Amino acid sequence: MEQVANCMYYAGGGGLILIGLYMVLAKTNLVKIILGLSFLDTGIHVLLVAIGYIRGRTAPIFSEGMAETTPVVDPVPQALVLTAIVIGVGVLGLALALAIQVYRHYGTLDVAKIKGLKW
Amino acid sequence: MVSPSLLIAIPLGGAFAAPLLALGSKKLAKWIPPLALAADLVIGLLLLPRVLEKAIVVSIGGFPPPFCINLMVGPLGLSLAILISLVGLLISIYAMGYVKTEPTEKYHVLYLLLATGALGIVLTGDIFNLFVFFEILCIASYALTAYEKDRAGTEAAMKYLIQGTVGSTFILVAIGFLYGLFGTLNMADIAARVPSAEPLHLFLILAFFVVGFGVEAAIFPLNAWLPDAHSSAPSSVSAILSGIAIKTGVYAIARICYTLMNAQGFLLFLSLIGIITLVVGEIAAYRQKDDIKRMLAYSSIGQIGLILFAVGIGTSLGLFGALFQLVNHALAKCLLFLAAGYMIYRAGSKKLSDMQGLGRRMPLTAVAFTAAAFSLVGLPPFAGFMSKLSIVCAALKTGRSAHMALAAVALAATVVEGGYFFRVVQGLYFRDGPKPQSLGPAKEAPAAALIPILVLAVLVIAIGVYPQLVTGVLDGAAKELLNRQAYIRDVLEAL
Repeated sequence: MEQVANCMYYAGGGGLILIGLYMVLAKTNLVKIILGLSFLDTGIHVLLVAIGYIRGRTAPIFSEGMAETTPVVDPVPQALVLTAIVIGVGVLGLALALAIQVYRHYGTLDVAKIKGLKW
Repeated sequence: MVSPSLLIAIPLGGAFAAPLLALGSKKLAKWIPPLALAADLVIGLLLLPRVLEKAIVVSIGGFPPPFCINLMVGPLGLSLAILISLVGLLISIYAMGYVKTEPTEKYHVLYLLLATGALGIVLTGDIFNLFVFFEILCIASYALTAYEKDRAGTEAAMKYLIQGTVGSTFILVAIGFLYGLFGTLNMADIAARVPSAEPLHLFLILAFFVVGFGVEAAIFPLNAWLPDAHSSAPSSVSAILSGIAIKTGVYAIARICYTLMNAQGFLLFLSLIGIITLVVGEIAAYRQKDDIKRMLAYSSIGQIGLILFAVGIGTSLGLFGALFQLVNHALAKCLLFLAAGYMIYRAGSKKLSDMQGLGRRMPLTAVAFTAAAFSLVGLPPFAGFMSKLSIVCAALKTGRSAHMALAAVALAATVVEGGYFFRVVQGLYFRDGPKPQSLGPAKEAPAAALIPILVLAVLVIAIGVYPQLVTGVLDGAAKELLNRQAYIRDVLEAL
């Protein structure tokens, strides 16, 4: 049971990344591909937090009434994830905006039918 | 003393200032990119003599390096930063007249962000910081590719975005594993701890990094986005993408293989994929008989392959050749795209057949185009000759049969390269164009475009005739990559 609990977050993060990769590679609908990119992002975030997580410890936020010796998890990966989330939002926003433009030009979101260039 | 962090801060500040200034006066806003990048160029040149003696380490926030994000301004980072500022400055002068689609201030913002990203990548000493700058560069280039909002540009940008984002994901996974192994993100600190790690773990991380940065560097088979993005974007954007953006991917791979991981066993594989990329790129370029920009884009893939091959040689001369080729390709390919931009404009189409006879109607542009094409092929009086010569010499001096055989393949690919560039030049000068009455009056490109084109042409010839202009600096840069102990010492013993 201990083993399962230890690798649960890694497996979850890795699984989300694989699901995302599958969606990007196998789906033909542009919106589904973009959703796949979002899955990829989320998977990475879970993975990064899992790397910095230490079981039984609390969030690295010091507030009043909290002893200074309280064991906390590693804050660096969480800072990385915050940055990565912001980057992900930017990329997703741009991706959706481009998808709208593609739809205006081609009248479809099916990448198999969008063949102005060689896909 | 000027602080090297200004190199990154000035373009970033300019990017935020441009839209605010555009509220008042659009004319003023379009001067911001050239001014910001010119300031960068001056700062870079001022810092150069000091950096060649000793690398400057800037710690941000006042903590000593392993605990803060630091900039590592060594000969390699600074010489690439100067190259980026110089090429960026010339392209931004060109873009002042070339980019007409409103709102132009958005173009200038994105352009400056792209420059910020590229400068940050080459100067930073923190692996996660490198990723952030890399994303800034990527997002700016996705948006710039689609700037005209036309059919081809939008589709190319979509493709570029999807592949680029998957690549970035791989980089982030690698960074996560690296942090898990070493508990630090400082590149010098990681480099110092690498010998204690298991080789298999390091190999996995390296593979993730190479795949991730390989997408941006357009290494075969990760290069599907490049011909579309570079050929569909506006010409000034193609120039910066081909000249600067893909080079940052190669820089990152070289930095990680040498400084970070010391991956000697991986270098031959790097050379091998470099040569495959070179052959695939050159043959694909040869097959483009129609679209000039697509041809140039495939040629960029080929050149990246050659640079990567030289990076994989692993000797000081090989790295020197790689950096020299990188500089030459940045100058020449920028020039080709900039010249092609107005040649397309005057000929009214991207087709090579419509450009026949343009050599007589736009003599200066065509001469500059020819100089750059010859330089890329590697003809003697031009810059490309010296760099290709050093790469081949370096490959032969290793004495390893694998590298010699690969060098032979590289030379054969150069013949293919000559084949398509000579075909274009022949068309420009010795073929008759469409009927004269169907054409407008014979016209050169406007002055704002001609100045950068001619400056680049002069640089291409000047470096070819007098390579000492750059060899001293690039030699120092190559030594920085090889001497990782000095890198670690410089950063960790700063302050």
